[in-house]
Amino acid sequence: MPVTRMQTMVSKSQTMSDRTATASRLEEVVSTPDEFDQVVLQALPMLLDRAAGSTKRFLRETGQWNDDIEHEKFALRWGSEYLERFLVCGRTEVPCRPLFLFDSLVAKQHSKPEPFCYHPDLLRPLGRFLDGLAARAVISRDALIALYHHAYGWSPGEVIAVTGLNGVESQRIYKNFRRWRESGWQRTMDEMGLTKVELAELGNQQQRHRQRFNSEAERLIRVAQTHYRKSEPNHYPCLSRSQWGEMFTQGYGCDYRIWHLALCLDCMQTAWGLGSNGSTIGEKPRLELQVRP
Amino acid sequence: MGQEEDLELYRSRLLESLDSHASRCLRGVSDPIQVYVNERRVGELEGAGIGAMLQVQCIDHIDTVQLRTEEGTLLGGLVAPEHGFRTDRLRLSADTIELCVHNTSQGGTLSALFMPAPSFWSRAWKSIAEAADRLVARRPDTALVYGMRMVAFTQALLAIAVVGLVADRVTTWMTAERTPSPVIQTASLPAAPPAGTTRLEQQLDEVARIQTKIGEALASQQNGIVQLHQAVAKLSSTQESVVSSVVMVKEEVKEELEKRLEAVGRETDRTTRHVASKGRVEQEQLEAAIHSLTADNDRLSKEVAGLEEHNQALKTKLQAANASKAVDPNPDRLLARQNDPGRQPLQLADSLQGSQQQPFLFWVTFSDGTSQESIDQWVNGMKGHKGAVNEGWQEVRIVPPPVPPDRFLEQIRGEKIVKAARISQ
Repeated sequence: MPVTRMQTMVSKSQTMSDRTATASRLEEVVSTPDEFDQVVLQALPMLLDRAAGSTKRFLRETGQWNDDIEHEKFALRWGSEYLERFLVCGRTEVPCRPLFLFDSLVAKQHSKPEPFCYHPDLLRPLGRFLDGLAARAVISRDALIALYHHAYGWSPGEVIAVTGLNGVESQRIYKNFRRWRESGWQRTMDEMGLTKVELAELGNQQQRHRQRFNSEAERLIRVAQTHYRKSEPNHYPCLSRSQWGEMFTQGYGCDYRIWHLALCLDCMQTAWGLGSNGSTIGEKPRLELQVRP
Repeated sequence: MGQEEDLELYRSRLLESLDSHASRCLRGVSDPIQVYVNERRVGELEGAGIGAMLQVQCIDHIDTVQLRTEEGTLLGGLVAPEHGFRTDRLRLSADTIELCVHNTSQGGTLSALFMPAPSFWSRAWKSIAEAADRLVARRPDTALVYGMRMVAFTQALLAIAVVGLVADRVTTWMTAERTPSPVIQTASLPAAPPAGTTRLEQQLDEVARIQTKIGEALASQQNGIVQLHQAVAKLSSTQESVVSSVVMVKEEVKEELEKRLEAVGRETDRTTRHVASKGRVEQEQLEAAIHSLTADNDRLSKEVAGLEEHNQALKTKLQAANASKAVDPNPDRLLARQNDPGRQPLQLADSLQGSQQQPFLFWVTFSDGTSQESIDQWVNGMKGHKGAVNEGWQEVRIVPPPVPPDRFLEQIRGEKIVKAARISQ
């Protein structure tokens, strides 16, 4: 036993000294992008912990922190987001001191009015699932198109009909669906920290109490959509039915339709039936959450 | 405990994802590239397009630019400065995207240019064409011309060799068609004439030689192309560095010019303001002087008019006196009048004295801190009387001075306690 304890202590002290060496290397000036990559890639764990720590501090200071695993995961998730951006953009900032550059990037993010979508209910599995979908939709067209499926259960053909797309755009929709099924969905679930057990439990809840489940999902997806719609181009506001009608009839604003309707339940109801030249006669769409792609 | 493990698992998964992100490129060849400015999507670059370009103009400053695949993978990006240019060239596999951000006080502009990787032959031809262009454009370098000639000669040689080989093969095939089946041929080999075998051997040797030559020619051509590539790469890197230095120098010059213009502008503004304020003061002083002169003029003209009237009255009286003298029957009264010689001049003198005894009025301001007692003393010293005070100006009436008013005022201004003096109010 004493030998094991000794080994643990030696291992801990070794780790500590490694971390110190890495930190001091990060504080030194790097002159080339390759050097930047080399130094930063060696220090990913340390930088992730640092970013998560900053996020945690920000949440504490803004009265949004709770000592539980959901909040810890939230902080880690945003730390990872910042680190990903740093990995790509930081190399264009050389010569620089990576550690200080990283700190400034995180601080800059936290100085924004709403750096991330925080709501206590969005930290639970259903909230995390919806938050993950909406957050991913902002940066991935595959996820954006997949939102139509997850929110309304539509197939690619139905998405094309509802959004009134032409031939070229239609092909892309099929491609988006395929990629999302192949890898996008799993990747998003992994990044949101949703385990297989949690996903299975969501499926069970949906089967047992479908109506309650969907109404809760509608409430939460509205919170997420309101936040992430800010990432749309700022000339994409909500429109009246006549304005949507004009857009659909004249065939312009493909991107507008795809982006906005996926991220706005209300406008989806407003523009319902315009895309398929009125051939879709039926009830306005209600949220029917699909957990699987 | 389970939660800690779950958290640790999540952390290591995120780290794996980050680690693999750095070394992968998941973009399909024809997929568009999504362009984000300040984390808002602004458009896309056609991934398969030749020289696809996207230009974006924003009201706000461009802070960050990000390029993502349709899956959401972050391919590249840059952080732009608050003011000025930032250019970057991102390599995605063999393709290149050139980003250029320009931030000004009016907002920011982004231009993104997608340059797909050219094929091997197009690169080779491009290199040769560029080299040829340069040769045409300027006096050719002897070594390079020699190299080009060598390449051309090698190509010609290779073409001839290939044609020869093809012709030889065709001949062989045609001969083979005429020959009997291999079994029969084998059987009849011993009967074949030795001359035919020798010719065949010679032909084989010839083909082998040609093949060797072709191999050498190909190797030398490849060497030439490799050298050309290296030269082109060096040239393009030099060009890039020159272009970037030109951009930097331009930027520096622009900034310097802007700074100088600002400084000159500030200096000019200050001078203009100073001159304008001085001009205003002088104008005010001039207006006050003109006003006082006008008032003096009015007063003098009134006095002159009064004197003329008085004169006229005196003349009338004189004429009347003469007339009465002419008609007056009483010589005693006339005599009495004649005996009073000072009467008429006295009247004139009285009138003059009356006009002279009108008090001389002027306005004066005193130096700061002058006591009322000193002022009274000074006024008494002049045998004057104080009048009204208006906006710091004290009215003083004195016996008309023996010197002209202007000179008198100058004297007054010379007094220690007097700050300023003027005649008009």
